[in-house]
Amino acid sequence: MNFEWTEEQNAFRQRLRDFIARNVPEDWERFAEHGPGSPALTEFAREFCGTLAEDDLLTPHWPVEIGGLGLDPWHQTILAEEMWSAGEPRGGQYMNVNWIGPTLMKYGSEEHKARYLPGITSGQALWCQGFSEPGSGSDLASLRTRAEPVGESYRINGQKVWTSYAGLAETCFLLCRTGEDRKRGISILLVPMDTPGITVREIPSIIGRGDIHEVFFDDVEVPLSARLGEEGQAWEIIAYSLTNERLGIPRYALARAALERAVSILSERGDFADDAVRIAAAQVASLCEAARLANYALIDRRAKGETVGAEASSARFATIMAERRVAEFVAEQLPEALAGTHPFLKMHHQRGIVAGIAAGAAEIQLNIVASDVLQLPREPR
Amino acid sequence: MDLSLSSDQRTILDALDAMLRPWESAPIHDAPLFASDDALEAALAEAGFLQVTADPDLGTVTAALVIERLARLPYAVEAAASALIGPLLGDDPAGPICLVDTRQWRRPVRYLRENARVVVLEDAGVSAFTASAGQFRAEPKALFAYPVASLHELPDALEPLPIDPAQLRARWQVGLAAECAGLLAGALASTAAHVSDRQQFGRPLATFQAIRHRLAEAHVRINGAYWLAMSAAAGCDPGQAALAALHAAETARMCTYDFHQFLGAMGMTLEHPLHLWTYRLKLLAGELGGAAGHARSAADALWGPAEG
Ligand SMILES: Cc1cc2nc3c(=O)[nH]c(=O)nc-3n(C[C@H](O)[C@H](O)[C@H](O)COP(=O)(O)OP(=O)(O)OC[C@H]3O[C@@H](n4cnc5c(N)ncnc54)[C@H](O)[C@@H]3O)c2cc1C
Repeated sequence: MNFEWTEEQNAFRQRLRDFIARNVPEDWERFAEHGPGSPALTEFAREFCGTLAEDDLLTPHWPVEIGGLGLDPWHQTILAEEMWSAGEPRGGQYMNVNWIGPTLMKYGSEEHKARYLPGITSGQALWCQGFSEPGSGSDLASLRTRAEPVGESYRINGQKVWTSYAGLAETCFLLCRTGEDRKRGISILLVPMDTPGITVREIPSIIGRGDIHEVFFDDVEVPLSARLGEEGQAWEIIAYSLTNERLGIPRYALARAALERAVSILSERGDFADDAVRIAAAQVASLCEAARLANYALIDRRAKGETVGAEASSARFATIMAERRVAEFVAEQLPEALAGTHPFLKMHHQRGIVAGIAAGAAEIQLNIVASDVLQLPREPR
Repeated sequence: MDLSLSSDQRTILDALDAMLRPWESAPIHDAPLFASDDALEAALAEAGFLQVTADPDLGTVTAALVIERLARLPYAVEAAASALIGPLLGDDPAGPICLVDTRQWRRPVRYLRENARVVVLEDAGVSAFTASAGQFRAEPKALFAYPVASLHELPDALEPLPIDPAQLRARWQVGLAAECAGLLAGALASTAAHVSDRQQFGRPLATFQAIRHRLAEAHVRINGAYWLAMSAAAGCDPGQAALAALHAAETARMCTYDFHQFLGAMGMTLEHPLHLWTYRLKLLAGELGGAAGHARSAADALWGPAEG
């Protein structure tokens, strides 16, 4: 067991820090206050990701054949930690490199790969994820948006909701019902967002403008070839995607960065001598460390080629605990940050509160840990 | 970064597991509240598992792994101080090593008995004495699952030791963290087995979400305690050690209540051995000032001492 980074890994991290310092604007922290899906950030991210791609730093963890450098999961983690700690200048594109790209590589047709991967690897594409529906959040398998085969096409009718980035995304990774079976009746369609019949409406939210939407599908037609994988294969495919999503977001790193920022602000103005504040800060730091290490234990196994299953939910819950405590610490000790005096902390708060909901609610993670890690008998349904 | 066991560590833990088989299951007992066995202590000493720190290829992480593994047993056996602090003492004490924090010298001291080597931590320095019968009172009725004794007072004649107090505190905290992680894992396994088995309202208790979620959260915290303990053991860095002990103490406080709760009356009687883990945790959770004490040391180490 060894907890040291190699020299090469340290150098890689430094390279990323230098890159970020060079490529984010002076007023970046104010900038980052815009939601991750806002027009300002989306436009900035195109330029930022384009430059990242030129420097081979956008998809270094992808296989060499499709534009990556074949670096291991530790490098992916270092990359993601540095981006998240900086307030995620990649905007919505983090999704592309974390899971949409890898999922297309694994399950996509040659046509899909040729059509979509270049936009992702050059840092220009923006996707949205059409999973949740008004009646189907945690119980995703109950979704009702339907795709009916009509000749050489699917005709899509239904509604998605809380869809991040939908306002500006070019393509939707859409889950639809093609059969009656709860899980095996669901398929994935890759749908261009400019297809006639799609209506997008923004839903204002605490996490910032431009981020959350509802998306309506009225007789939207896409060719059968827009289907990713087989009909009914969606559940298997998204199980793969979501593990990548869950491990791909090092929220603990942003949480720790926010804590350090809050402590330094408090220290500078002489408010970090109070024992109660110091004890609270240390408690928060211990949760951030616990989350970081729980994630590292899994990254280590992935780096060694093992598949990581339910333990991902355990690491994820550790991260949720850390996120919440950092957000609470800031709200209690530096409430003026949420009023706008410290945009980085405000941004952390806006993103941190999402941790226990998006990509599977906290309780869903606990259910998975109880059944599949602790092996407790399952709940009756 | 390489978080799997080295082949040496794997070999040592396998050998330890094989040796520990006779002590895996909980003994039936009434008083005292702890389980101890001289044969276990002797076997451990003879096999040299507590000497791993001195081996440069093994070191303090291996010591923490051994401590964590031993704490999963229902039996209490002194390991943490011998494995982590023993090497700093320079001699090879015959008896167990005990730790005393002068700020809290009235606390019951684990394993304190005649001829025990007692290491005393003060901010100003580290010292030691060898316990003699007149200095302490055994506490066979204590509600802790360790053999404990209380000092009548701090002896006047202490031998100063050339040990940095910050390093002693860090190693004490690493030991606490590793031992708590093992105790918590043992207690969780024992509780999970019970609620999976026990039926009420026609179904196992473990199928009720109120219980499942709290056990799952316990798992998440205990997993964190394990990794924090190991990472702290790697460098015995004061900041990381304090964070590890802090997380362990808070987890101990949260889990012991829940685990007993889920056992109902059985958690209060000696029919079930849960107390053999939890009533060790209750003593450990308060050492060195408990969670708040560790938090203070963590804040000092991470952000510098309080000014003003
Ligand atoms: C910022 C943000 C961005 C999002 N982006 C997207 C996106 O891009 N695309 C997309 O498809 N979706 C997105 N979502 C939606 C997200 O996936 C859902 O919010 C999530 O799956 C939970 O569903 P729900 O909100 O309907 O909550 P519900 O399912 O209504 O659950 C509400 C609460 O009930 C509890 N609960 C639910 N089920 C159980 C259970 N079985 N046991 C115990 N407790 C339970 C949990 O506490 C849960 O938080 C986003 C959400 C947020 C907050």
